[in-house]
Amino acid sequence: MGNFLKLLYNEQIKLFVRKSTWIMYGILILLTIGIAALTLIFDKPTTSYDAENWKTELQAENAALEEQNKDGEFIESFNNSIIAKNEYYLDNDIKPEGYGALQFTMDNAPLLSLISLFTIIVAAGIVASEFRMGTVKLLLIRPISRSKILLSKYVSVIFFAFMTLIFLLVLSYIIGAIFFGFDGINPYLVMEKETGLDYVSILGETISSYGYGLVNLVMMATFAFMISSVFRNSSLAIGIAIFLMFAGNSIVGFFSNYSWVKYILFANTNLELYSNGNSHWIDGMSLGFSITILLIYYVIFLVLSWVFFTKRDVAGH
Amino acid sequence: MQAAMELIDVKKTIGKKEIIKGLSFTINQGEVFGFIGPNGAGKTTTIRMMVGLMKLTDGDIRILGNSVKTDYKKAIAEVGAIVENPEMYPFMSGWSNLKHYARMIPGITEQRIQEVVELVGLGKAIKEKAGRYSLGMRQRLGIAQALLHNPSVLILDEPTNGLDPAGIREIRHYVRRLATEENVAIIISSHLLGEVEQMCDRIGIIKNGEMIAIQAVNDTSEESETQVLSQVKLEVSPADQAIEILKTSFEIDAVLDANKLVFQYEKNNIPSLIESLVKQNIAIYQVEVSKASLEDKFFDLIGENIIG
Repeated sequence: MGNFLKLLYNEQIKLFVRKSTWIMYGILILLTIGIAALTLIFDKPTTSYDAENWKTELQAENAALEEQNKDGEFIESFNNSIIAKNEYYLDNDIKPEGYGALQFTMDNAPLLSLISLFTIIVAAGIVASEFRMGTVKLLLIRPISRSKILLSKYVSVIFFAFMTLIFLLVLSYIIGAIFFGFDGINPYLVMEKETGLDYVSILGETISSYGYGLVNLVMMATFAFMISSVFRNSSLAIGIAIFLMFAGNSIVGFFSNYSWVKYILFANTNLELYSNGNSHWIDGMSLGFSITILLIYYVIFLVLSWVFFTKRDVAGH
Repeated sequence: MQAAMELIDVKKTIGKKEIIKGLSFTINQGEVFGFIGPNGAGKTTTIRMMVGLMKLTDGDIRILGNSVKTDYKKAIAEVGAIVENPEMYPFMSGWSNLKHYARMIPGITEQRIQEVVELVGLGKAIKEKAGRYSLGMRQRLGIAQALLHNPSVLILDEPTNGLDPAGIREIRHYVRRLATEENVAIIISSHLLGEVEQMCDRIGIIKNGEMIAIQAVNDTSEESETQVLSQVKLEVSPADQAIEILKTSFEIDAVLDANKLVFQYEKNNIPSLIESLVKQNIAIYQVEVSKASLEDKFFDLIGENIIG
């Protein structure tokens, strides 16, 4: 075990000594600040409601939104959902919480796809770059099995993904707090759920939206890792993985008339659909079915990576 | 004494092509073995099989008795190697590169790393990024990396590549020292016989995947002295008549080179040859006998210029 930790340490050093890794973190910081600034300037979210007059504040907000609806139809449905939520607060006599750090963190969940992108780049390079640089020869002629070296690389990729995810969460929270202030330890919010509007914990919602996003992240990273160790070419791995990440849903849509479409990886990566009550979007699919399919793909990716990395000769260029 | 490395009928087939056609040889502890052959003869393929980067199609390689096929970890633990170019992580310093490899083998101290850095003479350059190193410096770093764990077998693939004559002399110096003082078996591959001949105890010549000769260097024992072919140069007149005599009576194909007959012959038979020439009225002005150098011999064996 001791030497496995040293292998992991080696991989992390090789990852973080490179500028490109730090650029990824720089991009995340700039984007988060940018999103916060844009939200502050254009959305002007109410950061706190008055304890006495919050009802009149909400009514004023609704009136303004109704007014806006007359101008353009395209924002009507969006505005209507806010109006509905505000009415839920009024009807149930709940004072809404102001916009703050945690809610900003939750709204930042789409940045998870950027982390997927970064993780794909890291996963694609971690095996292939050793072959490109030629360092793989010196790496493999040690009294350590190839399987262990490959595992240390895979664990490093997953470790990177989680570390970057935690970084994004903490960063969003801090920047959210700077721009909008704190909104308490466990604030609640009215959201659309499968049963209609519901008063839910923001913390719980944040965890679940990031958690569901992780499924796709881990699957795509593992896929890129597989391509990387099978073809020993990082550009190919990055290209295919990113293409599939963006085109995945279109591929599913394209073949949606066939019954086998449910076996395509991308038809199953969005497990959040099941929690939103859209479980019947393709016949015969359920949460259990999707998890099974995901596991099968996951195992296939790992086995292919392992077979090609451990069994194939390391020949010249 | 146990052999440091033993190749037993090693074969490698890639696709339908047989790259290595049954190599068998042994390298003893404390011996420097030169593995010589033209480019494409199978040197690097053989080395890749020795260190487990490529699998053997047939046969076995044992390092201190441990098979690379069945006991890889034990076998490779005794090996330090450079395979082809010594590629290092360009974005890390020489020192970080060494630390990286040191972490993969238990028991390598900071002090040991410092020791090998001094041995290969990298000095202050060790703090610089390996990407800025010249090929010669990378060779040194490669050798340092191979020596970290005090291996019993050291494999250096083309270690003189990119080195200036001073650098080659330095390598020769510590290769000899490792072999004599620390009893390390060292395998040095090269396509340039001249560059490694002086540091080797034995030379093996590989061509088209086959070992075509193994020859001890500096073999000065009485027996070999008489049997080994010597190069003979004769200044005679008339030359064409002499060539005829050599051909008919001694089965020697002599070549006329700058008015001298050049051929190879066993040293102890030279007097009778001269006697015979004199008897047939050939005037002899000069006889030059030199021990045929390895170069000459291998030039004949391989039939193409690999000596460069």
